[in-house]
Amino acid sequence: MGYVAAAYTVVVALVLVYALTLVARQRLIDEMAEAAATDEAGR
Amino acid sequence: MRPLLAAATLLMLVGIAWALLAAPTEVFQGLPQRIMYLHVPAVVTAYVALLVVFVGSVLFLWTRQARWDRLAHSAAELAVLFITATLVSGAIWGRPVWGTWWSWDARLTTTLVLWFIYIGYLIVRAWAPGSRGARAAAVIGIVGVLDIPLIHWSAIVLRTLHPQPTVFRPEGPALPASMLPPLGVNLAAFLTLFVALLLLRVRQERMLARLVEQLEAA
Repeated sequence: MGYVAAAYTVVVALVLVYALTLVARQRLIDEMAEAAATDEAGR
Repeated sequence: MRPLLAAATLLMLVGIAWALLAAPTEVFQGLPQRIMYLHVPAVVTAYVALLVVFVGSVLFLWTRQARWDRLAHSAAELAVLFITATLVSGAIWGRPVWGTWWSWDARLTTTLVLWFIYIGYLIVRAWAPGSRGARAAAVIGIVGVLDIPLIHWSAIVLRTLHPQPTVFRPEGPALPASMLPPLGVNLAAFLTLFVALLLLRVRQERMLARLVEQLEAA
């Protein structure tokens, strides 16, 4: 069962790490969009 | 996108539970054979992602519309994710069944080559932004897909440690009927997850492109 557990853990972890990078990237894009909007309003 | 992500999560939970707790245990391999419920959906999803890269790359080179490039780039990232899942799950499956994590046989090697090709694709995207990088990546995206028939035929034509196809065969699956439903659920889970992540990633690329346009105009 150890190999099976290892395979499922590694694959689920891979997908989760990728999903988390997408969430982090989205936050960064939202922050950049907000900063751009603030710049636009200040001009 | 959220309903799709929720559906993918639900399908994955059901699929994993079915594969680990309720699917029949194979007589010769025993428990490690349950890794098939991850390995096969991962490779099928990787192929679907590569097909999207191919179509997006062809349409980008043909029309020069950035939206096709964004689609191909996003799908390439996911293709690398699912090829990685295929290679890792295959290695962990190979250890108890073949007695080795890795063998330089034709199928495993051509799959590793596929992984390197799309890692190369992502490196080109990272180091050569703009239309030149997009064009170079599109060529890699198109040429890389040619490796898929090689991977498929390698286990049929050559003597490899990897078994011949047991699911996707012209004469139908060689698996026992009781293994097909959990495999189907896991395949649906992986494909739904791929579509959800692809839509999310394409949306991010579109937002980034819009931001860059705004900054350049300012």
